[in-house]
Amino acid sequence: MVQIITGRGGRGGWRITARCLTALFGGYGAAAALASLVARLLPVVPVEATVWGMTFSFAFYAALGLWAFHEPRLHRVAITLWGGAALLAGIVYLLGPRA
Amino acid sequence: MSAAVKDTARRLRQSMAWIHTWLGLLAGWILFAMFLTGTASYFRPEITRWMQPEVRFPPVSASQAAGAAVAHLQPAYLGDEQWYIYLPDDRTGATRVFTRPRPDPDPKAPPAARRPELTLDPAKGTPVSARETRGGEHFYRFHFQLQLPHPWGRWLAGLCAMFMLSAIISGVITHKRIFADFFTLRWSKGQRSWLDAHNVSAVLALPFHAMITYTGLITLVLMYMPWPIMANFKVPETFAAQAYGRGPEDQPVGRSAALAPIEPIVDAAMREWQGARPATVIIRHPGDGAATVTIARGADQLNARAAQITYSGTTGSKLAASPPQGAAVTTAGVMLGLHMARFAGPALRWCAFLLGLTGAAMIGTGLMLWTAKRRRTGQPQFFGGQLVERLNIGAVACLPAGMAAFFLANRLIPSGLPGRADIEVSAMFWVWFGLAGFSLLRPVQKAWVETLAVSAMTFATVPVANALLTNRGFLASLRSGDWLFVSFDLAMLVIAAALAFAAKHAHAKRGELPRRRSGALSTLVSGEAADAI
Repeated sequence: MVQIITGRGGRGGWRITARCLTALFGGYGAAAALASLVARLLPVVPVEATVWGMTFSFAFYAALGLWAFHEPRLHRVAITLWGGAALLAGIVYLLGPRA
Repeated sequence: MSAAVKDTARRLRQSMAWIHTWLGLLAGWILFAMFLTGTASYFRPEITRWMQPEVRFPPVSASQAAGAAVAHLQPAYLGDEQWYIYLPDDRTGATRVFTRPRPDPDPKAPPAARRPELTLDPAKGTPVSARETRGGEHFYRFHFQLQLPHPWGRWLAGLCAMFMLSAIISGVITHKRIFADFFTLRWSKGQRSWLDAHNVSAVLALPFHAMITYTGLITLVLMYMPWPIMANFKVPETFAAQAYGRGPEDQPVGRSAALAPIEPIVDAAMREWQGARPATVIIRHPGDGAATVTIARGADQLNARAAQITYSGTTGSKLAASPPQGAAVTTAGVMLGLHMARFAGPALRWCAFLLGLTGAAMIGTGLMLWTAKRRRTGQPQFFGGQLVERLNIGAVACLPAGMAAFFLANRLIPSGLPGRADIEVSAMFWVWFGLAGFSLLRPVQKAWVETLAVSAMTFATVPVANALLTNRGFLASLRSGDWLFVSFDLAMLVIAAALAFAAKHAHAKRGELPRRRSGALSTLVSGEAADAI
């Protein structure tokens, strides 16, 4: 597990670099998009929903970032975080602002 | 528990141990500095008062202080865009005012230079002549801006806070026996002791660490995570208006009108708050027909998002009040309040201060553990190990000397010297980084002893300098019952003693060969997770 993460066993350092960048930026993107979607969909007034989304965003980010180092398959991490960020942000964009 | 579940749990602990190590290491030094200076910031007004020993005022009522300040501002600053008046309370000595002139209507005109802050006598309203200093504000600003240009310091602090949050979560998952480990503190056992000390400081104050890290992120959430606002609002300002009652900036009408007396307005606000003390008075367009007076409540409540009421500046009648807060806005306000602890009385504030120190201790022992673990393997020290060891010395042992030097510089630099506030700040960084640079020239074990000893001595010198260079030394303060100055001197001596104890301990460890006790390890900690640490 740890060997897979660190790329020990001749797989080179680019994998850990890609994993770190995905966790840092992909994780932020996915957490921001998820928080935005929660804010957009929560059935309370927009101000309250917005603040709930912002309040929980860091918990989303931490969870996604840690998961990026737990899941052994890098492609799965990359697809979930980058793809999730794009998908959720797309949904938020299509829904448009409430107020 | 089935084998598959056990295996999943084992794999989870393993990966969490790995990420915990690297998150902690990469952000550890900055986090240590953020925790130490942030902890000092619990006493921000007290530090400022200590750093301006000339300022000494008997307490006055809020309306009296507001009246005195406005009486001073009226002749000189009428026609400004805004006066922002921080009223004194029982922790701050003087009234502080920021005035802002009306911007030049000519768009090509250069923006007016920011006027310096005014410090006023709370009872008389006259300017106070005190030594120029950043005071407690310096540690407070440093702990989230890291003395870097805006906005990079805040982004770096936020990144480190995210690392801290993730390290707390992964740390808890790693140590499945975390609470059992809490009761095993083995002194003088090398790596075991650092691990035990790390666990004790972490478990002891785990709720505090998690709270202070998360709420710290919340203080700058509008900068770090503004996206939910965009998801709901076409115009982001609508959010601020609805959440905090900040309306669009009102414009002056251009007709001059006398400002209504301020004292009855402050008293009216206090009546609405059942006697709670207002903290700030914001007067917009003083002297204009559209002048407004906004009174904001002090942070005497857990919720730091203070209520405010706006009155007409010409008639004194109530115009608007901040909207009632919903559950989410209240939650965020309480998180803000928990982080800043302005609601806390002296006893609770000292508790928060001590818990903050356990945070610094947890980070420091974690950093020690990293090197102790790798030193134990008996191999010659590799470059990364040496680098970490040196950075540990630079952060853990040298920063305290820098903080004490900031206090010392305040007493040593002549009180009338121009630019002395900046010199005080420079003194902190010169001593901190200078001592860290010096420590590079010394062997590691000696460097620990010497830098800790220098830090201890610098702290011990502060009460001496205070006694020699002001008339508010320890004995004089004791006689006059000036508990702020007495406590400050005592705190300096206690910190000096703690650092001296650490230096003595490091001295005793000098030359002791690292021991390898491999057999005991796996039975004592959470199995294989410990090996990954």
